[in-house]
Amino acid sequence: MPEGRSEPPAPRIDQAGDAALIASLGDDLDIETSGWALRAAAWLERRRAEMPGLGAPVPGHASVLVSFEPDRMSENELRNLLLAALAGTRQRAQRGRVTRSEIPLPFDGGVRHEIPVSYGGSDGPDLAEVAGRTGLSEKQVIALHASVEYRVLVVGFMPGFPYLGFLPAALDLPRRATPRVRVPAGSVAIAGRQAGIYPFETPGGWHLIGRTDAALWDPGRDPPALLAPGDRVRFVPIPPRRPHP
Amino acid sequence: MLEVVSPGALLTLQDRGRPGLAHLGVPPSGPADPWSYEVAILLADGRPDGAGDASSAAVSAVRPVNGSGPVALEVTLGGTRLRAIETCAVALSGGDLGAELDDGTRLAPGRVHRVAAGAEIGFAGGTGMRAYLGLPGGIDARLVLGSASTCVAAALGGIDGRPLRAGDVIAPVRRGHLDAVGRTWPAALAPHPARSVDPIAFVPGPDLRHLHGRAVEAFRARSWRVADACDRMGIRLEPHDGVEALAPGREILSHPMLPGAIQVPADGRPVILFVDGPTIGGYPVIGVVPRWEWPRLGQLRPGYGVRFAAQDAGSARAAWDRQRAALAAGTARAGADLVWERLADGAGW
Repeated sequence: MPEGRSEPPAPRIDQAGDAALIASLGDDLDIETSGWALRAAAWLERRRAEMPGLGAPVPGHASVLVSFEPDRMSENELRNLLLAALAGTRQRAQRGRVTRSEIPLPFDGGVRHEIPVSYGGSDGPDLAEVAGRTGLSEKQVIALHASVEYRVLVVGFMPGFPYLGFLPAALDLPRRATPRVRVPAGSVAIAGRQAGIYPFETPGGWHLIGRTDAALWDPGRDPPALLAPGDRVRFVPIPPRRPHP
Repeated sequence: MLEVVSPGALLTLQDRGRPGLAHLGVPPSGPADPWSYEVAILLADGRPDGAGDASSAAVSAVRPVNGSGPVALEVTLGGTRLRAIETCAVALSGGDLGAELDDGTRLAPGRVHRVAAGAEIGFAGGTGMRAYLGLPGGIDARLVLGSASTCVAAALGGIDGRPLRAGDVIAPVRRGHLDAVGRTWPAALAPHPARSVDPIAFVPGPDLRHLHGRAVEAFRARSWRVADACDRMGIRLEPHDGVEALAPGREILSHPMLPGAIQVPADGRPVILFVDGPTIGGYPVIGVVPRWEWPRLGQLRPGYGVRFAAQDAGSARAAWDRQRAALAAGTARAGADLVWERLADGAGW
């Protein structure tokens, strides 16, 4: 995880169909690159009022996807805009003119959240396997998972699903070889150097180590997602809600 | 006003969806076959905004028109039965799912039918995957995040975010409007895009650098079969017997996805992400099916054979423009037909 990079890497820009472009900042997961992608998306979002035809930007871990209406904006215009979004954040940062009102800096602030987790048992059916594969005890896995403050890198895949970075390296495991057909809502999961929480029942390939009652998604709430990119998350172990099998 | 007697395989409410919320993980939803949705709306109202015929503009002014468009019913595959609680005009479009009344009267797609109180509409199954049913003025439904579209995976829209079920009532925004009965879509002038037998177009990329050097050629050269896993979230493709899948896609750093994106997962069997699909994915995308081909994706059903052809983005945009023009021409003709029928009836307008 490189620290303190003063400018984003040069993006590559590819077509995503006939009405969208995606700017990629690289193939590695690190918090700096994630921050550049979020800032560029925020900058583009602010251009929308003055640029009809510009769709809502969607940030990824190291990328930004933007749709556009080709009869109101050319692909080249959008290409230049994407370059400006990334270069713009760089120039402003270099001039020391970055303020929170001008460009949101997701990684400097962020709301703090504590997520209560019931670990193991039927709430976290993969805890024992994770312990076995990492050579740790279940208690050590829980302690490690709850030991760090995570940042919400991006929200997506399904409504309100947070990708959280970064999981301690000792817990780094590839995804399950065979995804589960059914992951219960509220499942607290890990994969690679990331942690996540499933807001809905869904198929999924991450390792399930616990479960929470926190309402990650409520369409009647504004915003409906509990967690936003840049927010800080801590997991707090609570006694199991259900008897262990 | 209609009551659901049996929902069939899947019955949902759809308007033009909730685009622009992918940063929250919310897929755009909306009709799987947008062409047929538009045809149902245009037949029911004569206008794309659901504000109704000019004669009823005063009525619609009372109730602001939904920014996501009028709400229509999306019928999937067959088995659906609907009973008319009162006599109503029903616009039908999309795949020919064998719709008929319980007295045996066949209900052809591309036409507005009069359904008498107490009669039942049944979809016995036929060709294609989805049919659309519109009511004049649109179907009354609650908006969630700006749209009434049902997204079952995220429990959004429709009725409590779920598929419709027996006993649900589908009420029009305003009642007793039969003016549209008889209006017919000019299928010869503006045929459904699924009439085409050409390969489905895709714009290669954006993840070709993560795929085998000849992956596009291999994808294009093979003939595929639509797998049973074919729904609003994604359309899985499988090779025909004895034919190899693509070289396995390896996990990449996740990036935002969009409907039409063709992911190559670890088993080499491509999945076309669709209108309710994930907004972020971790497998490489070999190509994206452009907007003008979505109506054909919406009519793919399990077991269908399908082939693909690479298309550059510029040609895809031109094809989109031609499709919009065809829709506009069809609308003008359908509207003109209606005017002519009213004159013939001496009804005036």
